[in-house]
Amino acid sequence: MRVKSSYLPYFLILPAFAYLLFFVGYPLVQALYIAFTQNGQFSLATVRKTFADPYFWEALKYTLALAGVIVPTQVGLAIILALAVNRAFKGKDLTIYALTIPLTISDVAAGLIWYSMLSPSGFLNKLLLNIGLIHQPIYFFGYQYRHMEFLAIVLAELWRATSIVFVIILAGLQMISNEYLEAAEVFGADYWTRLRKIVIPLLKPSIQSALIIRTLFAMQIFGIVWILAGRDIPILAGEGFYRLTELKEYDVASIYALVIAGLSILLGALYIKFMKAEYLEVRR
Amino acid sequence: MNRKVRLAGVLVLVLLGAIVSGCIGGEETTSPTTTEQVTISWLSTQLNPPEERAFVQEQLLKEFKDQYGIDVNFVPISYADLATRLEAEEKTGKVTIDLIADLHGGLDFFASKGWLEDLSGKTLEGRTFISTFEKYATIDGKKIYIPWMSATYVMVVNKKAFDYLPAGLTQEDVMKGTEKWTYDALLEWAKNLKEATGQPQLGFPAGPKGLLHRFLHGYIYPSFTGYQAKNFDSPEAVEMWKYLRELWQYVNPASTTWDAMGEPLLRGEVMIAWDHTARIKNAIETNPDQFVVVPVPRGPKGRGFILVVAGLAIPKNAPHPEEAWKLIDYLTKPETQVKILEKVGFFPTVQEATGAIPSGPLKILAEGVAAQSATPDAVVAMIPNLGEKGGQFTDAYRTAFQRIVLKGEDPETVVKELGPQVKQLFQEMGQEIP
Repeated sequence: MRVKSSYLPYFLILPAFAYLLFFVGYPLVQALYIAFTQNGQFSLATVRKTFADPYFWEALKYTLALAGVIVPTQVGLAIILALAVNRAFKGKDLTIYALTIPLTISDVAAGLIWYSMLSPSGFLNKLLLNIGLIHQPIYFFGYQYRHMEFLAIVLAELWRATSIVFVIILAGLQMISNEYLEAAEVFGADYWTRLRKIVIPLLKPSIQSALIIRTLFAMQIFGIVWILAGRDIPILAGEGFYRLTELKEYDVASIYALVIAGLSILLGALYIKFMKAEYLEVRR
Repeated sequence: MNRKVRLAGVLVLVLLGAIVSGCIGGEETTSPTTTEQVTISWLSTQLNPPEERAFVQEQLLKEFKDQYGIDVNFVPISYADLATRLEAEEKTGKVTIDLIADLHGGLDFFASKGWLEDLSGKTLEGRTFISTFEKYATIDGKKIYIPWMSATYVMVVNKKAFDYLPAGLTQEDVMKGTEKWTYDALLEWAKNLKEATGQPQLGFPAGPKGLLHRFLHGYIYPSFTGYQAKNFDSPEAVEMWKYLRELWQYVNPASTTWDAMGEPLLRGEVMIAWDHTARIKNAIETNPDQFVVVPVPRGPKGRGFILVVAGLAIPKNAPHPEEAWKLIDYLTKPETQVKILEKVGFFPTVQEATGAIPSGPLKILAEGVAAQSATPDAVVAMIPNLGEKGGQFTDAYRTAFQRIVLKGEDPETVVKELGPQVKQLFQEMGQEIP
């Protein structure tokens, strides 16, 4: 059977579209229904109830704050690491391997690892006590120490999820043809100039992908916060989960889910709009 | 529908009835292969997690079938689903459930609706039920369920902590739960521990999945106010919150992140902890020489603690009541009860079983639980059965805790604000406020 070539692209995306419709579209409609109706009637009561709860605003604040701190740090760190290993040296493979190990660890497991490292009798405190830097253990956990809990979450997330950014950026770096760099070198461009004028612009598509992936994941951050801070630091996904499982408030939980979805769509759209990558070769 | 079909239907029913009753009555037909195989359906809100379900199906029920030749279909179910299904079946008269396992509150509710068989006349040989459980299972002169398993929340003490006891309090007092083992004594002790070790040594499961709310409504509230919810906003309650705020200075701050106390005890982060028996079991199993289980302290109104009782009940018009009774007989045998304790950590309800526990970690737990149940000043609290609203009930206590103890708000304002909400939950469900 011959398919008219102008229909082909539509035909090819059909399975993906059907998948999205069923697994994303349907639950989304369902969530909208639960959130905006009461006894079968359209109602904004749940929205008002959710927005009147101080936990909602705190959760929104902390989710955005965590994303705001974690994502840029991760991208910066990943670029530095990728540049550092993107050259020939002895033990290169081993270094890359070691850097990507955290990829295999789930967020809950990572949370537990960091919890035992940072607890009052944990590795970090023992080390600092033994070398005499501190005389009292540093408390990282508990409602009174929320700023430290925030720090612990940032550390754990940096450790756990920088590797995925690193992998994407490294792949981008390796795609950059050496010819550009050699040509620049011939014209006397130093390392920083090459980095600024050639490497970073060519890396833009990779950075964009990494940023989108990480920001969207940051909106859903859950396991690590749940382990390290409980509800001391409320976050959107955690509050949605708590409302659903503990309070059985399906309507409020739906609002949380919709807010996360809405934020993800908004941020994704902003990235695509403002970070139009220059795909030089394919531009017509 | 024509008459012939109806007649045929009646004939089939009569025949079936004959087969079933033949199978029940026939004492001599011990071999199950010769009679019609009966499968009874057992709906349970207990032992639902996958590993516990596997234990029920692969061990408990397999052994039951070997002994009695009766097949059991074990159906794990949530309380809400069970209530809906039982109500529908009782109302339409088409009962398919033979046996129900649920907590006291649920069974109490079913009995009040008249959905449960009265089990008063029946006897089980060779076992004495612990009197507290027997008492709760009898409602309005009817025995509505047979106590099956129990659980509670206790305190675990690292033996090293006994070196720092406040003056006037002995290890014996704490272990036995005497008059002197009070919340004030706990405060003194916690203070001593913090001063001596430099770190707070008391711990509570105050994380999002922790059970701190049970401590609040079932332990400290009854101990200070005499009731779980009735005196939620009384002056005694305000005193209680002030006490808790003072105590919290000696509580490990990471408590707000802990869901269960087993790990913090093992890691040595706290020396005294309160939690559900199932959630501290691993600490005692790992280091049975290091920990002891003790009764909780008492307050001005007595020693409040929660007793969780799961019972077995037969619905009215159940299709196979005799077989269901045999299953009850099997499940309450001392050997079976000890097996349940070993596998899933629920405590026996019959005295013979308590004596049959081999020494070791479980014995430590069972002794602590028994000591707590036996204290003369006990104020026993049952977890209220509010169905879907249960979450809102516990959330009110957690919110009060958060606002008063963690955020430092005025206790009087907070309890006055939340009190009516708590009481309204009971009114909405048509229940007496405990």
